Amino acid sequence: MKNPFVPVPAVLEAVIDETPTIKTFCLKPAEPIPFRAGQFVQLEVPGLGEAPFTPSSSPFEPDRMEITILKTGLVTNRLHELEAGVTLGIRGPFGKGYPIHRFEDQTVLVIGGGVGLAPLRSLLFHLFHEPEACGNVSIKYGSREPAEMCFKRQHASWGERPGVDFTPTIDRPAEGWDGHVGLVTTLLDDLDLDREKTYAVSCGPEVMLRFVTWKLLDVGFPPERIYLSMNRNMSCGMGICGRCNVGSYYLCKDGPDMCYADIKDVPYALG
Amino acid sequence: MKYMRTASFAKLVEALGRDYDIYAPVQEEERLLLQRLVPGENGGGASVAWNPARLGESLKPIWFQTSRVVSRWTAEGPEAGPTPRPRAIIGAKGCDLAALGIIDKVFRDHTFQEPGWCAAREQNLVISGDCTTCLDSCFCTMVGHAPHPEAHFDLNLSPLEGGFGVEVGSPKGEALVADHADLFEEAGGEQVAARDAARAEMTERVEAQNEPHAVRDPFAQSIEKHKSNRLWEALAATCVQCNACNMVCPTCHCFFLVDVAGEEGSSRLSCWDSCFEGGYARMAGGGTPRLQLVERFKNHYHHKFVSFPKNWGVTACSGCGRCIDACMGRIDKRACLHRLETEWLPSDTLQGVQ
Ligand SMILES: Cc1cc2nc3c(=O)[nH]c(=O)nc-3n(C[C@H](O)[C@H](O)[C@H](O)COP(=O)(O)OP(=O)(O)OC[C@H]3O[C@@H](n4cnc5c(N)ncnc54)[C@H](O)[C@@H]3O)c2cc1C
Ligand code: SF4
Ligand code: SF4
Ligand code: FES
Repeated sequence: MKNPFVPVPAVLEAVIDETPTIKTFCLKPAEPIPFRAGQFVQLEVPGLGEAPFTPSSSPFEPDRMEITILKTGLVTNRLHELEAGVTLGIRGPFGKGYPIHRFEDQTVLVIGGGVGLAPLRSLLFHLFHEPEACGNVSIKYGSREPAEMCFKRQHASWGERPGVDFTPTIDRPAEGWDGHVGLVTTLLDDLDLDREKTYAVSCGPEVMLRFVTWKLLDVGFPPERIYLSMNRNMSCGMGICGRCNVGSYYLCKDGPDMCYADIKDVPYALG
Repeated sequence: MKYMRTASFAKLVEALGRDYDIYAPVQEEERLLLQRLVPGENGGGASVAWNPARLGESLKPIWFQTSRVVSRWTAEGPEAGPTPRPRAIIGAKGCDLAALGIIDKVFRDHTFQEPGWCAAREQNLVISGDCTTCLDSCFCTMVGHAPHPEAHFDLNLSPLEGGFGVEVGSPKGEALVADHADLFEEAGGEQVAARDAARAEMTERVEAQNEPHAVRDPFAQSIEKHKSNRLWEALAATCVQCNACNMVCPTCHCFFLVDVAGEEGSSRLSCWDSCFEGGYARMAGGGTPRLQLVERFKNHYHHKFVSFPKNWGVTACSGCGRCIDACMGRIDKRACLHRLETEWLPSDTLQGVQ
């Protein structure tokens, strides 16, 4: 078996500025890295360290990988300084990925916050590639301000797809913005969706996940139909270094997307 | 069972030096320490001491070093780290080997393997021994193990008149006996009976000394019961977060990966870690899921006695008692588990184990 500590080298082919703090890194790994939407990889800056990210690209294009990254610390700061041409390392994929097998004939309610739309974009690519995998797709995307939105170039085309609606929102009013204003939870108030035929899939900062979960429960979603992309410190990525536990689950192995029904009784699961 | 005379054992150890780096208990003044045998320095086979019970340190670093290069990235690209030379370990006890079986579950027997651990498990040789005494902190029998090795050895020695009863535990052990047939003889029925009697007596001794800590319910049950109980605060009150309990524990396996840049590229080290550390689970942005020490303290117990059995089917404790001896705060795991079953200090200040 392949040594799971040894990364696959990947050439950084392009860097796309998404927002002042978020960039998408387009990588060409030395060998294809097949992954399922929602699975994550450890991206290494050689000699500096690695950090976990969920690819934002299509799982149907395993010979290229795009990773959308918020600048926030040691590894991500360095990544943001890099230009095309350098070689990085990729380990993985790890984790389970989204429960796409449950989505057949179901509406998928996709709720993203900030850079949290990145892993969800990979899910959207999957669902758009295989329309029979699910019923309708409803996307709710919250950002602090218009400038903080990722993948703006794709929003219009998503919204135009049959069976897909896309609603962005920003936290506070901003000049030139005529869309919805308010936290992403405000988009969940008047959902015209059958609670027993919808799966909600959410990714974003922990506070957002917490409030989204409470709101979904409030508006009648059963815990079994709420999936959250959870965040913990991760090192090995494969369930052996011990650090990413939420109760008895290892997020790297049993997640990172967890069904709320499984974690609802774990104290502090959502901070 | 075979029988081996004491003098033959020294010869066997000498012979092992050809294929293995040998680690064995050596008497150093008052203490028995695990040492690498270096012929000419600390002698050969003759200097190996019989350790009547487990040693002070765990044997874990023989298979899982405190820090190890797991991969490197040089001009040629990324590659796996080096594998150490095969090691022969003499003096392992029942709890030491039970611990190997526990870590095997995580590092070997599932989807991903820890390559260093698997290589070491494959290539190392274990000559273990029955316990002939127990330390005050020993409680192997409380967690389903015994004061004599039950698995994971190549040869096991049971002291008998003039030498040892030798049990063969693996094909590697079998080959060793075949290669050194002149050192072994068949044991007689009386010798087997003597070994069994000694084992039964030791087992009773360990059970008897742990009588005061005996519990009725499974540990997992009493730990889970205390979701919000001030008792945890009382138990953790003297913990100074020194991490010693993790470091001496033969079943703790947490590590983190650190990349280090060097002149000829970079190396990735796997380094032991401790769940008692405040920064252990710190996330990007600074948030940490178990901010208070008492939460980390609970997590340690929850992991060993609740999560691990749930995930891997066994308790992550071999009952070696090292954490008890090492604790600066004089925290006795057995006593804690006992109090968790028998005491109750209700409180709503804590949410429980995460
Ligand atoms: C499954 C998963 C998927 C994710 N997907 C995305 C994504 O798609 N996009 C995105 O932007 N973010 C994503 N994140 C978050 C991302 O992993 C963090 O933002 C990233 O780890 C930050 O790394 P940093 O080194 O820049 O930050 P830091 O705050 O410097 O480090 C974060 C953590 O890494 C450890 N660490 C840092 N430096 C060292 C060191 N020198 N030695 C040892 N440990 C160190 C620390 O434990 C620290 O808690 C994801 C997280 C997870 C768990
Ligand atoms: S928890 Fe304590 S008694 Fe149990 S194996 Fe670890 S050190 Fe030994
Ligand atoms: S050995 Fe004792 S004092 Fe040290 S961290 Fe463990 S419980 Fe706390
Ligand atoms: S990241 Fe190592 S166990 Fe999850």
